[in-house]
Amino acid sequence: MTGFDKNSLTRRTLLKAGSALAVATPLIGFAAPAVLAQGQTKSPTKVLDFMTNADVAKAEQEGQLVFYCHENEAGTAGIMQGFSKDFPKIKTSYVRAQTGALYNKILSERSAGRFDVDVIQLSDLAPAVDFQKKGGYEHYVSPESHAYKPDNLSTPVGSFFWTGVDPAGIAYNTDKVSSADAPKTWHDILNPKFKGHISAKISASGLQFVQWYCLREMYGDKFWKEFAKQNAHAFDSRVQLFDRLAKGDDMITSIGEYPAYILFKSKGAKVEFVAPPDGLVATPLIVGAVSKAPHPEASKLFVDWAMSKRGQAWYQTNPNLYYGSVRTDAPPMPTGVKLSDFKLIYPKDWDEYAKTRDVFSKEWNSMIGL
Amino acid sequence: MPSTGSPLSVQKMAGYGVAAVAAVLVLYPVFYLLQAALDVGDPQVRPPTEYGLDNFSGILQYPQILLNTLTVSVAATVMALVFGFVMAWILARTNVPGRKIFEQLMAVPYYLTPLLGALAWSLLGSPESGFINQVWRAIGGSGAIIDVNTPYGIAWVMALFEGSVAFVMIAAVMKSMDPSLEEASQVMGASRLRTMLRVTLPLVTPGILGAAIFVFAEMLGSFAVALVLGTPNRFYVITTAIYQLTQQYPPKIQTAAAMGVSLFAVMFVMLFLYRRVVKAGSYVTITGKAFRPRVADVGALRYFLLGICVLYLLAAVALPILTLLFASFQKIAVAFPTADNFTLNNFRMAMSMNAARSALGNSLLLGFGTATVGIVLMGLLAWLIYRSRLPGAGAIEYVVMFPQAVPRLVFAFGMMWAWVVFPIPIYGTLWLLLIAYVTVFLPLGVRTIASVMMQIDKSLEECAQMCGASWTFRTRTVTVPLLIPGLVAAWLLLFIASVRELGASILLMGPHSKVITPAIVESWFGTSSELTATLALVQTLVVAAAMVVLVAVTRRIGAQPGD
Repeated sequence: MTGFDKNSLTRRTLLKAGSALAVATPLIGFAAPAVLAQGQTKSPTKVLDFMTNADVAKAEQEGQLVFYCHENEAGTAGIMQGFSKDFPKIKTSYVRAQTGALYNKILSERSAGRFDVDVIQLSDLAPAVDFQKKGGYEHYVSPESHAYKPDNLSTPVGSFFWTGVDPAGIAYNTDKVSSADAPKTWHDILNPKFKGHISAKISASGLQFVQWYCLREMYGDKFWKEFAKQNAHAFDSRVQLFDRLAKGDDMITSIGEYPAYILFKSKGAKVEFVAPPDGLVATPLIVGAVSKAPHPEASKLFVDWAMSKRGQAWYQTNPNLYYGSVRTDAPPMPTGVKLSDFKLIYPKDWDEYAKTRDVFSKEWNSMIGL
Repeated sequence: MPSTGSPLSVQKMAGYGVAAVAAVLVLYPVFYLLQAALDVGDPQVRPPTEYGLDNFSGILQYPQILLNTLTVSVAATVMALVFGFVMAWILARTNVPGRKIFEQLMAVPYYLTPLLGALAWSLLGSPESGFINQVWRAIGGSGAIIDVNTPYGIAWVMALFEGSVAFVMIAAVMKSMDPSLEEASQVMGASRLRTMLRVTLPLVTPGILGAAIFVFAEMLGSFAVALVLGTPNRFYVITTAIYQLTQQYPPKIQTAAAMGVSLFAVMFVMLFLYRRVVKAGSYVTITGKAFRPRVADVGALRYFLLGICVLYLLAAVALPILTLLFASFQKIAVAFPTADNFTLNNFRMAMSMNAARSALGNSLLLGFGTATVGIVLMGLLAWLIYRSRLPGAGAIEYVVMFPQAVPRLVFAFGMMWAWVVFPIPIYGTLWLLLIAYVTVFLPLGVRTIASVMMQIDKSLEECAQMCGASWTFRTRTVTVPLLIPGLVAAWLLLFIASVRELGASILLMGPHSKVITPAIVESWFGTSSELTATLALVQTLVVAAAMVVLVAVTRRIGAQPGD
């Protein structure tokens, strides 16, 4: 049984509760999600090789798309580049920041009555659900939704979807660690021989939160208490972790993201990836059109493009992204491996997961020396 | 012919007008910052629902971070002042060979950006992968002979790249100093060293004190160096801690704001002490007596001084740039290059990214705008604080100092909240960044201009006044011409500071108003150190070209009074 199957019911419960709350407690300055009548009643049209409810001519007339994204600069620019290539008449611009900072920024703007953004991508389900509760997303059901399992869409459908999954195992430098000494299971990251030479991510990372939550669920509190003794160095992005790993500054990283592994392997870095038998921890990357978007047709068109096989192929093969696609008909990743080939671990209960955020931040910050 | 009219009313109007502008620029965001520091309710709900002091008591949970910050800031300030004073004395007061060229080169570390310096020194001096340590091990050594990830390694890099402003501030004062005072000392039999310590040093005390306060505040707010070099060693200072707290979800902005406001208390005390010291003595060196700026002939010692200049610029300019150039042609930066590791892809990518195009153009435009608007506002503020007898002028200094006392990363939150609700839609545009830059650089500009202004004897203005000159006339014909060299230096300083600004921009730039330094930091976070090195080099080249043009223009302006 995969992580998807295990977690569906509880996550849905959470999302349903979220959507109910959205009606009851709209935040000042937020629009209640307006159902786009046109989007729901008009027959979808085919653009390039995907279906859309957006009026492409109007989207081109709007001429712009403003994107807020958690992804790094090169990755964010890469997403925009893919969309612009297919729709050159729509000029794209973006702001990128870590999910926490980005979410805070959009909340501040909207509470001040500013609506400058069309689409937002976050790396953590918790703020996405919170945003949904606050009526931050436009309700738009893409004709491409049929290619996604319900678990990978918001409840109700139409607020956001999983544009990809970022799975992580363990990675090590082959010059510093022999294959015999290399970690094989999650418990091996506790080995004292890696003390002071191991890296992790900062508490702002959605994936780090997922890893902390899942391994704590699986192995108990003691696991991270032991890990605290390893004196791990924490960094902002997956690229920094692999950059240090490739240069030998660290022996292993306790959260080696598969997309970064592919990127660095292609550069000839002496790094190897380990998929522990208990599974890879994984976080969804959430995309949704926001309410009161200044370019509503362009935002719908982008959502359809991103959900489409074409958009997903772009996300999956761009070297700065390499997201694993959750489309049911997704092709393999550049390594020939499909996301579904991995055993993925998600939080069993997304509601409980969201509630432990403060505990995680405090514990993790202290663990990394903050 | 002197203009007539009511000098008092013009003075008052100008004084209170400029005070009002400064107050709005600073106090408007400060209100929101204080509000956040006292907000103990839901961090995501604005305006706050509950107020209290819990955020301040929460700071005490981070004693190690406070100690780290103090250690690094004090060490870096001392290093920067020593470098700044020695280099300023050599280049402004001695006949060291090639001093004009060295003087121009001294500005280079400042506009290279601390991020570039940190990145380069990280490549050079990291204990494991640092090029110097790789070479050391290759020739038979073991371990690491240099480690820039230690507190003093961090302070060294901060002093080199953040502290070069100390040189600019101290040199500006030294240039305005009558050399006859030093000559008199030597005629009376004092040695060069004794003259430097007993005459030059006391005369430049206001400049040094101003620079010390400014540099210390700069070090307290330093972000990029501590981020690049401190994080790998689990060494956090207040700014990197604030960054982590504001980036996480939900962000702990209230704690960050409380940390920022607490720093202001420290700076308030320092500013108070500075004013006491300055008021206690007379530091006037430009008087009605004419003098021609001259330099001292130091004989053979000049070659030793030349060696110091070369070493300094090697560490702060040549080595970092060459290191980054070397790294930019590699897939994975290593000390010993191989053919299969060579690539031009970093340059291809750098040129195709937004950062290398629109962001760079925006940065240059903003640099020009900030320097030009800033010089007028800050010149008037310096006059208001240090020259006018208007009531409340002293209080304005405290207001002006505030942005320097609070890390720009934190102050930017106050500005964001302030300007996002402002009725005129400037949020997310270059106008907001212009306002932000003028605000955060008020202390830099005012301090630089004030250091020179305080050396101009009031009797010159009073003499003009006695002859019947109005305030506007004597300002135009006496004060400003005497200030021109200082104003030119301040203009260039503001230009450079704006182009390399990071803390405020990273939060305030919008999708259509990107600037270069945050883009480089983003690159460091998310691409690779090799691509980041390339971007930093591209930025350096473009800014260097702009600087060549600007220095040529400003030299002509600066040369006019002596013509």
